[in-house]
Amino acid sequence: MLSIVIENMGLLCSKHRHYNEADNGENAQAAEIERRIEQETKAEKHIQKLLLLGAGDSGKSTIFKQIKLLFQSGFDEGELKSYIPVIHANVYQTIKVLYDGCEELAQNEPNSSKYVISSENKEIGEKFSEIGGRFDYPSLTKELAQEIDTLWKDAAIQETYAQGKGLQVPDCALYFMENLERLSAANYVPTKDDVLYARVRTTGVVEIQFSPVGKNKRSGEVYRLFDVGGQRNERRKWIHLFEGVTAVIFCAAISDYDQALFEDESKNRMTETKELFEWILKQPCFEKTSFMLFLNKFDIFEKKVLKVPLNVCNWFKDYQPVSTGNQEIEHAYEFVKKKFEELYFQSTAPDRVDRVFKIYSTTALDQKLVKKTFKLVDETLLRRNLSEAGLL
Amino acid sequence: MTSCAVNGGCPTDYSAIAIATISMILLLWRSSVPFLVHKISRTNGSGFWIPVIQVFGSLNLLLSIVMSVNFLKFKRRHWWQSCYIWAVWMEGPLGFGLLLSCRITQAFHLYNIFLKRHLAPIRSYIFLPLILLPWISGAAFVHVKKPLNYRCHMGAHWIMPTVFLHAVYISLLFGFTWTIRHIEFRFNEVKDLWKGILVSATCIGVWIVSYVLNEVHDDISWLQVASRFFLLLTASVLVLVFFSISSSQPLFSQISLRKREHLEFETMGQALGIPDSGLLLQRDPTPVIDPNEPLDKLLLDKRFRQSFMAFADSCLAGESMHFYNEVHELGKIPADDPVRRIYMARHIIEKYIIPGATMEVNISHRTRQDILTTNNLAHPDLFHNSINEVLQLMKMNLAKDYWSSMFFIKFKEEANVRSSGLEIEQMAGWNASPRLSSVHCADDPFHHENLFKGSGSVTHDSGK
Repeated sequence: MLSIVIENMGLLCSKHRHYNEADNGENAQAAEIERRIEQETKAEKHIQKLLLLGAGDSGKSTIFKQIKLLFQSGFDEGELKSYIPVIHANVYQTIKVLYDGCEELAQNEPNSSKYVISSENKEIGEKFSEIGGRFDYPSLTKELAQEIDTLWKDAAIQETYAQGKGLQVPDCALYFMENLERLSAANYVPTKDDVLYARVRTTGVVEIQFSPVGKNKRSGEVYRLFDVGGQRNERRKWIHLFEGVTAVIFCAAISDYDQALFEDESKNRMTETKELFEWILKQPCFEKTSFMLFLNKFDIFEKKVLKVPLNVCNWFKDYQPVSTGNQEIEHAYEFVKKKFEELYFQSTAPDRVDRVFKIYSTTALDQKLVKKTFKLVDETLLRRNLSEAGLL
Repeated sequence: MTSCAVNGGCPTDYSAIAIATISMILLLWRSSVPFLVHKISRTNGSGFWIPVIQVFGSLNLLLSIVMSVNFLKFKRRHWWQSCYIWAVWMEGPLGFGLLLSCRITQAFHLYNIFLKRHLAPIRSYIFLPLILLPWISGAAFVHVKKPLNYRCHMGAHWIMPTVFLHAVYISLLFGFTWTIRHIEFRFNEVKDLWKGILVSATCIGVWIVSYVLNEVHDDISWLQVASRFFLLLTASVLVLVFFSISSSQPLFSQISLRKREHLEFETMGQALGIPDSGLLLQRDPTPVIDPNEPLDKLLLDKRFRQSFMAFADSCLAGESMHFYNEVHELGKIPADDPVRRIYMARHIIEKYIIPGATMEVNISHRTRQDILTTNNLAHPDLFHNSINEVLQLMKMNLAKDYWSSMFFIKFKEEANVRSSGLEIEQMAGWNASPRLSSVHCADDPFHHENLFKGSGSVTHDSGK
């Protein structure tokens, strides 16, 4: 506790010093800024601060979008339309990654005959490989969509997609490829689902403020939710958000156990998530912070786990599959959950055991599920606040 | 006189030790001043560690001479006074060998970057121990053979190879310097290397003479006293001068004493004399900014770029924009000036590309590897892919919020004010966009840049 106070003082002190460095003309402005900060901190006392943390591509921003949809006004047509370039970019990037990856496999794999693209499709492939490397993509016309579709259906590309764990193919690839015709229509307006599927690497910090007033208006809590980028270079910025956090929503994509990091392809994503979670748990700022672990991308996990055994990941190498079908999914999920639980208790010092820790399996794309999960989170936090105030 | 020549503790010995101590204090002061007084930020990697290792090597060298050549009079001999610890290990691999190896590492880097035009194939922390290996094995050999007498002297047939090893390293340094002599360095690296070689060769000449005299004639007492006095004296001068001469640009700012030099150039672009990287010209025509135009076109306008950069900083996403800006500067250097291009490229790589860099950008593994393993640092398209990725990132993340931010409103206002010929108000934006209303941390990495954009007194690039 004392250390936090000292830290805060340090922050304030350095703030003062910064302002003193400024020119005289800026002093008035600095004072004004200071006053506003003070005002805001007062008003913020009863606002609950939530952080969405997790490694890259773990679904933080999708959860963020869901919250926007659920508890804010949602997306109007203008906002939906602003996602068109993003969605089209996703299409172009996907096809480029697949084509380039296929070329590489055809060269390097021993069993390379199945990665050979037919010659007419090769021409299309070269074209889209070039387009995908540009900064400005052409708008997706019917003709271009047709060509992409032809290429996508090429057996070699399908083969690449099926085994593409070494490639950075976005999760939305299949969804967008199946909807190419709709996406390329002249009067295309993205649906809610399209927006949720759209993949954008977040950089920096985004925030929203909301109050989850559902059917039962019991909860009057006001939340401020922060979304951040998850790649390694982005994580250094997180530390600026760590003060006064009510709860951390840690997203871990459980389907990522056989994939490599976007920023470092020599590192397994699940291993990275493990180390990251450990690091977060040990942060001194989070002494009293509740932890909500979202084991995300359950929809992909349940399909993948039947094909790719869990023990390809080093962290899960002691996993033994027991059966098939739903039972196996359940078993694998419980195993992963237990691993995270163990990790939590190992990384939590004895004096912090009273902080809340909950694990939820989520599919960030599933609005009903996210709504339900968030309700549970809300209730947990509410109960926690009441008990801290001595009311429960 | 005779007894002090044998046992140590003559007046000249004490004065030599005093001089060595003073030079060591000067050395420490000189190496820490840039950090303590001028508060320059520490660069990671070899730029910081090599000077530290050099100071360590210098200390070992002086200490080993004091301990091994009977400067001090000890009542009893302790085990830790063993000649093999001081005269062999401390003087060789940990002293002189370390000192010269550091310099050779730097010269080797310059050779790779500017002559071969790629990043050095082995990192400094591998190269340094590697080049130190002959010293270590030599020391181990001497340690096993035990040729030293009780006064830490060895016979003439041992001195020859020892002197030879010392000379080989000086000539190695000379060799690397010779290969890069034609390159027109911006920070006088070659001149510094030559100076370093000259000083070290002279000092080592004097040093070797006194060393040999001291070693060979251990029966003439006045020669003993005089030679060891000169030995320590020249070694003290050597370490001090050797350190003061910088030979590589990042080092330059690390050990520079004059604060002026940091402030002179706020950015690498200015240091390299890239046109129009300094202040804005007031009479620039301001094109009308249309939010529908693609971001890469818009960013060509310098004022827009600055406004957008301030916004990106406020979202804690500034590194992308800073990176774009510096690559833009790089693009202004003509292709027929590879040296300046390499400087800039290396600076950009160190600041934005290598994993863990101070302002690392969010790019894919493949793009990063392509840059780090390039075989031409002066290539015009070196950063092409990474710029595309970064622009894409900014377009998707920041562009939409920018148009509704205070930064854009300010930008438009300023453009209007300028066209009506009034004084420009300094920008200090209070952000109204949906980004970060409550986070304004004092220690935020981009903090001083976004709050004091206009004051111009903050040099975030001083660490180079």
